[in-house]
Amino acid sequence: MSVSPRIPDTDIQNDSMEDRLYTVKYDDPGDSHLDVKVPSICADSCETADCVSICPADVWRRDDGEVPTIAYENCLECSSCRFACTYDNVVWEYPTTGSGVSYKHG
Amino acid sequence: MTDDTTESTIVDGAQLLEERAGDAALESPNYDGEFDAVIVGAGLAGSAAALTLAKRGLEPLLIERGTYPGAKNVFGGVLYTPTIRELTDLDGAPLERYIGEKRFSMLSHHDETAVSLKPGDWHREPHNDSFTVFRGDFDEWFAEQAVEAGATLITETTVTGLIREKGAIAGVETDRPDGEIRAPYVILAEGGNSLVSEGAGLKETESRENIAVAAKEVLEFPENDEAIEDRFRLVGDAGVSYHYFGEGAVGEAFGGGFIYTNDDTVSVGVAYSLEDAATKRQSPEETLNLFKSHPAVAPLLKDARTVEYSAKTIPEGGAETMPDLVHDGALLVGDTAGLVLNNGVHLEGTNMAVESGYHAAAAIADTIEGDGHLSQYADALEQSFVVQNLERYAWLQERVEEDRELLFERLPTAIADASTEYFEMDRKPKETHAKAAKARVLETVGGLKGATKLALRYRKLVR
Repeated sequence: MSVSPRIPDTDIQNDSMEDRLYTVKYDDPGDSHLDVKVPSICADSCETADCVSICPADVWRRDDGEVPTIAYENCLECSSCRFACTYDNVVWEYPTTGSGVSYKHG
Repeated sequence: MTDDTTESTIVDGAQLLEERAGDAALESPNYDGEFDAVIVGAGLAGSAAALTLAKRGLEPLLIERGTYPGAKNVFGGVLYTPTIRELTDLDGAPLERYIGEKRFSMLSHHDETAVSLKPGDWHREPHNDSFTVFRGDFDEWFAEQAVEAGATLITETTVTGLIREKGAIAGVETDRPDGEIRAPYVILAEGGNSLVSEGAGLKETESRENIAVAAKEVLEFPENDEAIEDRFRLVGDAGVSYHYFGEGAVGEAFGGGFIYTNDDTVSVGVAYSLEDAATKRQSPEETLNLFKSHPAVAPLLKDARTVEYSAKTIPEGGAETMPDLVHDGALLVGDTAGLVLNNGVHLEGTNMAVESGYHAAAAIADTIEGDGHLSQYADALEQSFVVQNLERYAWLQERVEEDRELLFERLPTAIADASTEYFEMDRKPKETHAKAAKARVLETVGGLKGATKLALRYRKLVR
């Protein structure tokens, strides 16, 4: 028997983004439902890349001074990028004919 | 419950196309002009509207872009059902657990201070009309109730725009061949990401200060069948809603975390200001991870496995940013109309969506029967709990955001410190500790004067 009570181990194992996204049923429409309206705004004017910091699914990635790349197949369709972009530079369309995410436990 | 009539009336988009392809006479769209109203989106607002119209003997067409109703829908997890119960029989509805305990918890970095409420009444039917559900199950069931009452549902069909004739909304354009469907009335129940409504100029894009971003995980406990009952002290179908505020929940952002118990899973998530996510570089993924790792939260989730990850935005602008609800030929309902209440202790939206869908449909039905006008929808909603509640708390959000650092960072730490002091076991008299504890809290709020000011600032909460 231990001499004094121990502090419980509360480490929590969080899944990687890849594993998390793997839990979501997804049907690839083939084309991106996301885009940027004017690429030069991203490349020349935008210094904050808010699309990158707010995306819950790592859809938006950007190297400094570049136009972001869009991993649209990660998209959870939350639309936060559309609201977050202060340049209103996000093209966001609903994926068509039932494609995109299908949540069971939303 | 599901009988042959249901099967024959639920037609998905693909099926519809096959039928058309097989019948040359149907190449011109047979849905055009065939319905009394088109409803964009088979979420809770849309299905409530469809059900209400069908019960009034009218023929609504409910169009859903997902593979089934609920496929695109995410919410925290607790559905309040008083209006749904009025519209249909809840027996057989896919409910997870009723809420038997509400717990509000303030988290600083390492501390938790919590209040738990367990009124005995909540264990008795109808359980305060508060249940955890999954939208994938519930929305599909609710849409089926509308279909059984006579509504027509098509899925896998995306509305891409609205048809205008002589200035009035006269139907919808869809992504299907021959996709124009004209109808006298359109109800926009497309959610907070309102592409169709915005595209048609019926509402402005909400600014990001009024949007919350949310990330949620549904977790199971594969190695422990009793984990949920044991950790949340549950018997039978009872469940809990745990709400978390403070730095330990969502870092420096304005928002909160939650844990809800489902039948054999828990829903864990964070929802916080999108503006803060952007300006404080606080990603939803990291925020969720930090919340789950808090010493007061982690033991509840130990050895869990992710069943599904999801994300969503929430329109939290309240009464002040509500768009015009009534347009010539079209009505806005649910999240599209910005009908979400979040005042910290009340987190509501789906119940308001249902209520708005009901009133919108009632206004259309009255108008068709020659006994009303579309504008009565706005009046009915203003007199209902939906707008009354939004107006009651319109002042609160702004004030709490101004006081965020005090209320969610400094005060929780002070209260935790004061508790540590107050209960400290040493050889000093209690009086010494009590005085020090009081001083610790008063110092944080700016003395007795500051405490009084703070109380006055929030006095309307208890009115």
